[in-house]
Amino acid sequence: MLLQRYNMEEKFEPKIAAFVCNWCTYTGADLAGTSRLKQQPNARLIRVPCTGRIDPVFIIKAFESGADGVLVSGCHPGDCHYNAGNFHARRRWIMFRELLEFAGIDSSRLHFSWVSASEGKKWVDVIDGVTETVRKKGPFDQYRKMSRKIELPELEEEGVEI
Amino acid sequence: MKLMKIEKANLSRLIDQLKKDNHRVIGVTPDGKRFSENFDESLKFMETDTPPTAISFKEHFFPKTEALFHYKNNNGAIDLKEPVIDERKTVVFGARPCDSASLPILSKVFNWDYADDFFNRRVENSIIIGTECNHRDDWCFCNEVGLSQESEKGSDIFMIPVEDAFLVKTISEKGAKFIEEYSGFFESYTGIPPAENKNGHEEKKFDYDNVKKWLDSHFDHGFWDEAGETCLSCGQCAFVCPTCHCFDIVDEQCGTCSGVRAKNWDACQFSLFTKHASGHNPRDSREKRYRQRISHKFKYYNDKFSEILCTGCGRCSRGCPVSIDILELVEEIDHLAHSNAG
Amino acid sequence: MNGLNEVCREAISGNKAALIIGYTEDKHHHLKPFIAHTEADTDKLTYNHNAVNNLAVYLHRFRNRTEGRIGIVVKPCDLKAITALIQENRVKRDDLYVIGVNCSGVVKDQNKEFSKENTQIKCKTCAGKTPAWYDVVVEESVEFELPEDNNALLMKQIEEMSAEERLEFWNSEFEKCIKCYACREVCPMCYCDQCIVDKTEPRWIESSATNRANFAWNMIRAFHQAGRCIGCGECDRVCPADIPLSLLNRKMGMVAFKEFGYRHGTDMNAPTLIGTFSTSDHEEFIR
Repeated sequence: MLLQRYNMEEKFEPKIAAFVCNWCTYTGADLAGTSRLKQQPNARLIRVPCTGRIDPVFIIKAFESGADGVLVSGCHPGDCHYNAGNFHARRRWIMFRELLEFAGIDSSRLHFSWVSASEGKKWVDVIDGVTETVRKKGPFDQYRKMSRKIELPELEEEGVEI
Repeated sequence: MKLMKIEKANLSRLIDQLKKDNHRVIGVTPDGKRFSENFDESLKFMETDTPPTAISFKEHFFPKTEALFHYKNNNGAIDLKEPVIDERKTVVFGARPCDSASLPILSKVFNWDYADDFFNRRVENSIIIGTECNHRDDWCFCNEVGLSQESEKGSDIFMIPVEDAFLVKTISEKGAKFIEEYSGFFESYTGIPPAENKNGHEEKKFDYDNVKKWLDSHFDHGFWDEAGETCLSCGQCAFVCPTCHCFDIVDEQCGTCSGVRAKNWDACQFSLFTKHASGHNPRDSREKRYRQRISHKFKYYNDKFSEILCTGCGRCSRGCPVSIDILELVEEIDHLAHSNAG
Repeated sequence: MNGLNEVCREAISGNKAALIIGYTEDKHHHLKPFIAHTEADTDKLTYNHNAVNNLAVYLHRFRNRTEGRIGIVVKPCDLKAITALIQENRVKRDDLYVIGVNCSGVVKDQNKEFSKENTQIKCKTCAGKTPAWYDVVVEESVEFELPEDNNALLMKQIEEMSAEERLEFWNSEFEKCIKCYACREVCPMCYCDQCIVDKTEPRWIESSATNRANFAWNMIRAFHQAGRCIGCGECDRVCPADIPLSLLNRKMGMVAFKEFGYRHGTDMNAPTLIGTFSTSDHEEFIR
């Protein structure tokens, strides 16, 4: 009957914070846009000059601000506009993802990629892949519940189970 | 005043009843470190024969972080929201004189130029069940700062351990009402009243009046260069102390639209504590900061409010990462004062 | 002990050092840090199982001295901090007069006797009872019973938890944090002139003592120590809320060794871990 025609369940739309480097990934994402490639709309892009600029505190702040997943993306090794920024970043990521894993934020919520300025298609694949992985994992309520008590009624409004 | 008694078994039952009546019951945790709702159900801490908790109970009256209000940007207008208040009455068990006395001492500064409702509301809504203290070690000096192991200052009800029970003294009106409300758990006591001033004969570790006089006139003494020399400027002494009360007010935003104005513990030992917006920092060395700590506790607060800002609990000294002992320093000042006079 | 006092007195009188950072005994028979400025002061210096403090943390305040070297009494584990600070160019080797001590283990609780139960966990894995390098060395190391490594057990338990359980575990630990920053101040490797948590524009880490802010603070401090922590365990010892902070640093130390074969504080001339990179660092986790 009428009710059967409609999917009454609301699909969870994850919020993905994507830290992308200006010279490669951001340009690649732009190319995906100008090429009219269809992609999941869940990523909020934060443009930085280079992945070497990214302090792990940004990732923590992204989760604090309500991100369900974080993507960090930059130039392929050897292609960095500033020569070695992404090499420094890569080493940091090796350490930081292990720390977060140990603390309970596993690799299903934190993703990394190399996307060059010409890889518009790859960008779409990365975004779609990350979005689906995080969608399957679900909203990151466990992190948001670490707020102070006064913010909990706010979260209740958002639909987070306290 | 009529002395009452409560059997240990009845005390446990009283606590159960208080929880059923939606009270917030606070006691000492099983590891003896802190006061919290997850306290040791065996009530062993009521025997008070161990050192005091590592962290004082002030976090229940003056929390380590407290929201003053929550704000949200609502399309240009700002929505303010009052903090969530726990309306339950609080009953604190196992507070020793060095804990309970901190409340009337703090009340002076929290009602000085401004009535701090955050503090006042919590104190008014609490019953402090003080307990006579059976512990005294080389870090303690409650006797020297106007208190004692049997001091009732700050308590609404005072309990003295005896065999399988506690003698119960009613101290305040609030305490009297509480005992009346739960009279079923208490019985009259007709035995020998407890001895007063048990430790009065002990020699004092230092003479406070002497120390105060020295502090009044030795701001620039070389003693201060050594006193805080090994201090690391962390904030542990101020944070574990029952009477330290400095706080910082911060606006902390989360996301782009909402945030909270919070009142957080601060410590005069932090290197940035007195840094001005101009960049100037009047207390830019740990020697100056440590001089401030001792002077505030033993002189300035007394000058202003006629109270010593210290209950002699020794927590700061036991907890200090580099074992700075405030009692040792005050004893040295006493010694200096004597040799000056002589 | 006579060896130590003689050496220290000689250091000051012979101008080998302008001051000596060491340990002295207080009225509780505990050892605490003490800075000897004169020959008479050196009589107060001593060393025994109660020498828990990592004195390298005091080097920062003296590092810009122009007159005379900084003397420091140091046990093998703490020497790694000095090696690390030289490696990071924070202090110069020539500015120091290192008085190494052959260590026989230190206690967990200074109120109790030295015993197997009352020995710090780091003593079990100490690489050597003799400091790796020094200007002069004193004391004799005595064999002692190695303690149990309870931290290793706890690490294993954590690693066997699911991600949700781990986050819940750390959340419940950090709930106790009172943001006293004793962990930061006691750490010899934490020496930023302006700590990230004290930066207000922008506010990267909230200073309030809420779960969320405590998690951010402890995670970021652990990351800033990644590949830099030398494992002295002082952060654990001084925490008034008994949070097992050193586990985070221990995890980072394990990753640094497993991934890069790196141990901080062992080679004065080695390039630092996160300050450098290799073009062949692995990247199978990067899409």
